[in-house]
Amino acid sequence: MTTLTLCTPSSSSSSSSHLSCCISSSTTEDVRLGSPLLRRQFVFYTNWRKGRRGRGASCGISCSAEARTVVIGLAADSGCGKSTFMRRLTSVFGGAAEPPRGGNPESNTLLSDTTTVICLDDYHLLDREGRKEEGVTALDPRANNFDLMYEQVKALKAGVAVEKPIYNHVTGLLDPPELILPPNLLFIEGLHPMFDPRVRDLLDFSIYLDISDEVKFAWKTQRDVEERGHSLESIQASIEARKPDFDAYVDPQKQYADVVIEVLPTQLIPGDNERKVLRVRMVMKEGVKYFNPVYLFDEGSSVSWIPCGRKLSCSYPGIKFFYGPDTYFSHEVSALEMDGQFDRLDELMYVESHLNNLSTKYYGEATEQMLKHGDFPGSNNGTGLFQTIIGLKIRELYECIVAEKSVTPLEAAKVF
Amino acid sequence: MVLVASSPSTPPGISEKVSDSIKKAEEACEGNEVSGECAAAWDEVEELSAAASHARDKLKDSDPLEDYCKDNPETEECRTYED
Repeated sequence: MTTLTLCTPSSSSSSSSHLSCCISSSTTEDVRLGSPLLRRQFVFYTNWRKGRRGRGASCGISCSAEARTVVIGLAADSGCGKSTFMRRLTSVFGGAAEPPRGGNPESNTLLSDTTTVICLDDYHLLDREGRKEEGVTALDPRANNFDLMYEQVKALKAGVAVEKPIYNHVTGLLDPPELILPPNLLFIEGLHPMFDPRVRDLLDFSIYLDISDEVKFAWKTQRDVEERGHSLESIQASIEARKPDFDAYVDPQKQYADVVIEVLPTQLIPGDNERKVLRVRMVMKEGVKYFNPVYLFDEGSSVSWIPCGRKLSCSYPGIKFFYGPDTYFSHEVSALEMDGQFDRLDELMYVESHLNNLSTKYYGEATEQMLKHGDFPGSNNGTGLFQTIIGLKIRELYECIVAEKSVTPLEAAKVF
Repeated sequence: MVLVASSPSTPPGISEKVSDSIKKAEEACEGNEVSGECAAAWDEVEELSAAASHARDKLKDSDPLEDYCKDNPETEECRTYED
């Protein structure tokens, strides 16, 4: 026998989803946390959206299908700035994404009004002890449960809540699962978002953050230099020991990404070792639905641009842009490259006003977003700029997908 | 009067884990540098170093008033008024 239970979003909850799900269960025990039956129950949705998209709220047994969840994948090695990237991306959608309140303090999940960020480390099959026993790194596919990853991302995309495991990075253990409600926008970030072809097919957009070896070493040194026990040798040894698995399992994902952000040493300072000034290259795949690559001056041509001159004065080493078509793993791409650093606000504005297809909604929006997070690492160079731009492009992609969905007739939610 | 430290250091628990893991990795790799055990050991070092870095960031971001108000939004000092 099944009974229908209505759940209303409590006003104090800061949960990510606008959905309120009515879950039917044969007994109350089935709905408790940790129950594997959650997904197999009848799930009806009522739309409590605040009329933002002009849809009225309806409640009851007849259900309107929610605009489906848009899923974005971000792949990058550990210590490469994924967290900063995520904060910039989610910020474009309004509000800061924060860990779930009241749950496991070591949860890796982030929630905001419209977005949920899931860390794929939560799908580790082997915990730290297990990996040590098997002699396997976290980069190795054998350490990860791709079946579960696929099932849960598929469920969330279809609008079904899941009980997702938590990988505790401090203890190295797999903690009891947390409930994740399907959001409007789901980001999955980690080492292998594009490794499994089934998961790859679920992604509406994918990004790969490709940090060159020299820059990676510099960043990890900066991160670990204060840590007792670490030395330049240990930092180097760690990078080298992980490199074989990284090259075999993580690096090949970049051929599948819609955008690759390459972070390279600068070419503006001969003999530079500090790696403070960076050359950042945004490689954008052509022909991706709802994604129009950013271009300089004339789309499809090659342009080399130094903005510093009579109208704009920059301090050493200045800024250099390059834009042009290219091929990347036998795909047609457009590459936009920035070498150098921004010193002042007006440099940023000047550059923004000369870039096209930024998907900004008003003049100066990209600069404004950059300034909002002026304290984040990379805010004065191409990493911050391109990450911000990608956030704006994802917003456009999301709005297009939602608009497309609202044209098709609504269907009742599926029954499992 | 309390002086706030300029840059937070890693919480001691995690800091110890990091230095222990480095010692273990150096031991595991003596003689067999290409083995899975060696790679797994250094991977653990990387994981713990990243966790330490996140812990430092958390400390850096925390503002005592904001933390208090997140849990007690109805108290006098935490009330917000929107017109």
